[in-house]
Amino acid sequence: MSVEVEVNENDLAEMVEQVWESYLDPEGINPLIPTYDENQPSEVHSSVSISGSWTGHIVYACSIEAARRAAAAFLAMEPDEVSQEDLSDVLGELANIVGGNVKAMLPPGAFLSLPQVVLAPESTARFPNTERISGVYGIWDGEPVSISMWHSRADNNQEDGA
Amino acid sequence: MTLSQPEFAFVSTLVRKEASIVLAPGKEYLVEARLIPVARAVGAANVNEFLAELQRRPNPAHQRKIIDALTTNETSWFRDREPFAALTDVILPELIKSRATTRKVRFWSGASSSGQEAYSLAITLQEALPSGWNYEIVGTDISTEMVKRAETAEYSQVEVNRGLPASQLVQYFERAGAHWRVTSQLRKNVSFKLMNLTAPLPAMQPFDVIFMRNVLIYFDVATKRTVLQNVAKLLRPDGWLFLGAAETTIGIDDNYERVAAGRTSAYRVRTGVPAGASRRG
Amino acid sequence: MRAMVIDDSRAMRMILKRIVTKLNFDAVEAGDGQEALDLLADMPEVPELALIDWNMPNMNGLEFVTNVRADPRLREMTLVMVTTESEQSQIVRALAAGAHEYVIKPFTEGAMIEKLALLGLVPTGANS
Ligand SMILES: C[S@@+](CC[C@H](N)C(=O)[O-])C[C@H]1O[C@@H](n2cnc3c(N)ncnc32)[C@H](O)[C@@H]1O
Repeated sequence: MSVEVEVNENDLAEMVEQVWESYLDPEGINPLIPTYDENQPSEVHSSVSISGSWTGHIVYACSIEAARRAAAAFLAMEPDEVSQEDLSDVLGELANIVGGNVKAMLPPGAFLSLPQVVLAPESTARFPNTERISGVYGIWDGEPVSISMWHSRADNNQEDGA
Repeated sequence: MTLSQPEFAFVSTLVRKEASIVLAPGKEYLVEARLIPVARAVGAANVNEFLAELQRRPNPAHQRKIIDALTTNETSWFRDREPFAALTDVILPELIKSRATTRKVRFWSGASSSGQEAYSLAITLQEALPSGWNYEIVGTDISTEMVKRAETAEYSQVEVNRGLPASQLVQYFERAGAHWRVTSQLRKNVSFKLMNLTAPLPAMQPFDVIFMRNVLIYFDVATKRTVLQNVAKLLRPDGWLFLGAAETTIGIDDNYERVAAGRTSAYRVRTGVPAGASRRG
Repeated sequence: MRAMVIDDSRAMRMILKRIVTKLNFDAVEAGDGQEALDLLADMPEVPELALIDWNMPNMNGLEFVTNVRADPRLREMTLVMVTTESEQSQIVRALAAGAHEYVIKPFTEGAMIEKLALLGLVPTGANS
């Protein structure tokens, strides 16, 4: 039995906006400006998997420069002070926060995995047997950033999350 | 590409005329930042073009949007806490005695923004009034968008984080998708209306308590005085007015006196003062 | 005053630490509930405040809260969950287990300070 998932583009966009307001752009001067370009390039990405009542992934993908700026904003440091570890931590936490909020909108009994960070383009890591059900694509400070939600088609493809 | 002097003057005149809000010079950057999304939404190439078009051809809907964008809607649950504590500790016990025959209290949240103040009042009353009592809360604001939001009573995760104790979040809200919605138990006692405080106020039943916080700060002294005089007519003789932490009636309207209310202060209309009292009928 | 920041994300620990340090807390970090309990066992003075993530390896935040509540020595600690878990039922569970407050991620710095003010943990005037 497939479950109707009630997370649409608007919901995702709103969560993304809240992440910006909270951590990446507290002054409200540097929003993520939508491009609606599903194929925009990325250089790094992070993801969390959801299993249980719904199976799929939430992916945060962006350029290295955007990741560096996100880490700098998150950790209150200068972009050139950001280490590789800072960058990975922050990318992971961004996927975790969006994923956690998406999970809350799914039917009860969904579980969130710990985040995975890959310092390679999102295109290198297409999730098998999944389809994109919504996504927010945009430019932040001139750099590409996207957050997308992927649903696993077959339930036996369930990942070992949690 | 910041606003030119004439463009800034055009915008500040508009918001002063329509909302009595004074934009200090030097706020050009802020004004532009707030207008970028408005310009984008109406399909203008940029703020300059949007304003040029509006000057050529006045458009009330677009003017409304500018006012909405430039009014600060900043608010939170139980903002400043003390006024709400004063209600519970001091004012409601008194009203429970003085209104024992009608068992009903009426509150006004003037400048209710997205509704947090009005619903915080509802939670306070819900918890403090004995059973069998009724309450009615009216929220008003000049912004159509804010009134709509307040009526919808749905708040984002970030909004419910702000000042709302978790125990009350789970008791008085329910999840609605990505949002939290105020339960119908509270919503049925709260209504919202569009209202410009600086225009003549519509006839309303007088209120026992008026919260009019963080809105007078945007007006000049003459406007503050007019608003305070009009508000006095809508306050019951033994009612209470709460202003924002940076606001006062002192030196503006002597018909009010400042009184202690718990750990904060509130304002009451002086007894024996004809203004308001006589016209209240 | 002392605060313990318990989260498996180093980035999140840094954010939380920055906020409580601003409020004049000395911050101690732990990467999961077990590590936090171990640290607490060795601390001569119990911290006034713990900010606790829910989903962590080894011991999650809810188990940590349950453990703290069962230990009379830790009775005075104020426990605040700081998590992406935002179902109503989860909040109810955490409060029932003994958490005093609950902050949903993402949170702004202002929101976190307001929550701590609710708990009487922000000295007046420190509200920047
Ligand atoms: C800063 S908010 C205050 C909200 C709430 N009272 C509080 O203290 O949290 C100010 C509100 O005043 C409203 N406002 C500004 N000018 C107004 C006017 N002339 N008449 C009525 N409302 C006005 C704005 O739309 C905004 O929602």
